Amino acid sequence: MQELLQYLFSGVTNGAIYAVIALGFSLLYNSTELINFAHGEFAMLGGLSLVTLWAGLGLPLPAALILAVGIGVGAGFLFERLAIRTVRRPDPIVLVIITVGASILLRGVAMILWGKDSHSVPFFSDHAPLAVMGARLLPQSLWILAIAAGLILALRAFFKHSLTGKAMEACAVNPKAARLIGIPTGRMNLLAFMLSTGTGAVAGVIIAPITMCSYDMGTMLGLKGFCAAMLGGLGSLWGALMGGFLLGILESAGVGLFSSGYKDAIAFILLLLILYLKPAGLLGAAKIQRF
Amino acid sequence: MRMNDCDARRPASPALLEVEGVFKCFGGVQALTDISFEVAPGRIHGLIGPNGAGKTTLFNLVSGVFRPDRGGIRFQGRAIDGRPSHERVRQGIARTFQNVELFGSMSVLENVLVGRHVRTRCGFLGAMTRLPWVGREERAAREAAWRLLEFVGLAGQAMTTSRELPFGWQRLLEIARALAAEPRLLLLDEPAAGLNAVESERLGDLILQIRERGVTVLLVEHDMGLTMRVCDRIVVLDQGRLLAQGTPRQIQCHPQVLAAYLGGAVCPG
Amino acid sequence: MSLKPLLPYLVLAAAVVLTGLLVDNFYALQVLIFIGINTLLALGLNMLMGYAGQISLGHAAFYGLGAYASGVLTVHCQWSPWPALAVALALAAAVAWLVGLPTLRLSGYYLGMGTLGFGMIVFIVFREGGALTGGASGLVGIPPLTLGGVDLSDPQRYFFLVWTVVLGFMLLCRRLIDSRVGRALRAIHDSEQAARAVGVDTHRFKLQVFVLSAVMAALGGFLYAHLIGFISPESFNFMVSVRLVTMVVIGGMASVWGALLGAGLLTLLPEWLHAFADFEMIVYGAILIGVMIFLPQGLTRGLIDAYERLRRQAPGISSAP
Repeated sequence: MQELLQYLFSGVTNGAIYAVIALGFSLLYNSTELINFAHGEFAMLGGLSLVTLWAGLGLPLPAALILAVGIGVGAGFLFERLAIRTVRRPDPIVLVIITVGASILLRGVAMILWGKDSHSVPFFSDHAPLAVMGARLLPQSLWILAIAAGLILALRAFFKHSLTGKAMEACAVNPKAARLIGIPTGRMNLLAFMLSTGTGAVAGVIIAPITMCSYDMGTMLGLKGFCAAMLGGLGSLWGALMGGFLLGILESAGVGLFSSGYKDAIAFILLLLILYLKPAGLLGAAKIQRF
Repeated sequence: MRMNDCDARRPASPALLEVEGVFKCFGGVQALTDISFEVAPGRIHGLIGPNGAGKTTLFNLVSGVFRPDRGGIRFQGRAIDGRPSHERVRQGIARTFQNVELFGSMSVLENVLVGRHVRTRCGFLGAMTRLPWVGREERAAREAAWRLLEFVGLAGQAMTTSRELPFGWQRLLEIARALAAEPRLLLLDEPAAGLNAVESERLGDLILQIRERGVTVLLVEHDMGLTMRVCDRIVVLDQGRLLAQGTPRQIQCHPQVLAAYLGGAVCPG
Repeated sequence: MSLKPLLPYLVLAAAVVLTGLLVDNFYALQVLIFIGINTLLALGLNMLMGYAGQISLGHAAFYGLGAYASGVLTVHCQWSPWPALAVALALAAAVAWLVGLPTLRLSGYYLGMGTLGFGMIVFIVFREGGALTGGASGLVGIPPLTLGGVDLSDPQRYFFLVWTVVLGFMLLCRRLIDSRVGRALRAIHDSEQAARAVGVDTHRFKLQVFVLSAVMAALGGFLYAHLIGFISPESFNFMVSVRLVTMVVIGGMASVWGALLGAGLLTLLPEWLHAFADFEMIVYGAILIGVMIFLPQGLTRGLIDAYERLRRQAPGISSAP
């Protein structure tokens, strides 16, 4: 029982992080129908920026958090302006190659800047772990859940209640009509990119204290976030949330049942299964371009 | 709605294509409501109606892009619902597109050769081993493609990259490519759109020649002059419903058609 | 039939024979053999990317499947390499078919993600395979090849073996492209909608070309494993897949010769530049982004076009058509 609860805690914690990354994929897909293979690298960027700003430069935590996420947003801005906007023939294969290129470029730059070693940062607050029915709950897990929940509520409010959010949704539904009624679709795409990479950076920032941050942490996070997004249905906010928690819990159950070496394979097996059985996701919210 | 005197003149031979009580709706929009008609072999059938009448939707149902919500489509007496597009081509339904969809990077000749796809069978192993039968098949396909290019008058452009052709010629090439599949039924989606008067006159001749080759034609067209000139029968759609069908002359005199569509057309005779 | 289209292949064959006879430096031969193996891999991936318009980000997994299947069967089961090769190719084909079946029905992004995830799974299986795969430290003692009593472990002979295979596959791919199948693939690349409308079973053709490229990768893995005699998971990780994609992108998609160029360049680059390892990722990333933005036809094609544009402009009116 105690062990089970422990697995559940770690599953929910990881799940929240996967959900935040999945959110970034869905957000971008919704507005631009694009899947960003470099998405995980923005989480890496957020995490390593926090390492430098907070642990390295000694900035106060809130400032370091905001700056680290800001770096993710800024990198997204540059990425969209320099690489995505300039593409002349936006075929999926071309965009896949470009985003994969951006992914390893970012990784290469991070390796030069931060080196090949792993870095760690302390927990956001130094409370003692809570004991819940014999299982240990890290305060950082609560931080992760709280920040993830805050982010989701903020994004929901943005899309439901702000004019810009509604304009972005309009671009996603029908770009041509949106342009005709005067919505600057180019700027909306840019905004979607920045929001998406920003949420990626948030994921990296909140995961930093419970994992070691290194230049190569992005690929795994990105793939698992994508898997979570697909599980719930790419393009759906609640789907991203559900997919994230489902993946997190299944993964930690898998660690309990099998060896931990195969832990990472669980996400990819789920990914292939979902592509096989229900590409629209368990919620079936998104309409996949299926020929 | 249907004109009774048409039924009396229905040909004795069974219909090539039978559309029976077809419904199709997109989101909340009812694109087609209870459409039934038949296409007799060896004829040119026109499908007309104002924009948004459901003509292209009907085309897409026949060629297998969408499935009807209700009702069925039979080709040569066999139900073809749920069969994928490529299989329908093999069975003998070829089509062209409203906005001309060529293989832009390939030559004119190669476009027609791709059209031969369903009448040839060389696969991966055949292509790699180049057994004698593969060479024979390839030569036969090339001969057939050349004959078709001569038929539509593009033999002189065979080696040109297709996206460099003038628009009118692209239309002809698309028709040649569709004919290369040796269809029994050819679906032409607004073939005269974007053509000038001379080109569309020649297109009319070509469609008549296609009928002489024994190919049945189903034609969606806005150019009334062309439609009335070449069609043996015409089906009129309006807002997803079948308004009328009959010979061109009957259609031109049909009061509802006049009201809904032709506006000021004058009934000859 | 005219020999003219065959001329470049004859030139390449002559170059291969000459190089094989003249070069007896072990290191140089080894590099040339690696170029050959990489050309084979890039050629297969090029068929998928250039002609079917699909991308595989897990091609190293098929490369690894070929190497490990043959390695495990020869080391643990004492099989002779040739039947092991047959099993390895069949395995790669079957796995590619299974991975491609669902993902190739979806838009271009999903084969990318599917193969990326698949590559990770295969890598994990190699690493966690315990005694069977040798785990993280790798599988040792893979026997060298012999053919009809001839020992192929001599680098010169291995060079000829690899390059005969490469030349053979270049010709086979050329034949494929010039056939009904190749036309169908190019048609899919130009307009999938129109390809379906003329009766091309687009899903089936994309799946077949994916299987072909996986089989070619597995053959490359087999050649690699029996050359080195030792394989470890790191030789088949994600970066290897990215390197293969970069080779294809450099050489230009849809070009048989581009594969040779891309493979040659990216095999030689790390040999020339010893500091390359640190900048490998930045260089590949920059190449992938830069070529796709500025020269989407590929580096070779793009440079040739740029050169011709320049040449046409430079002499001005001297050679007006």
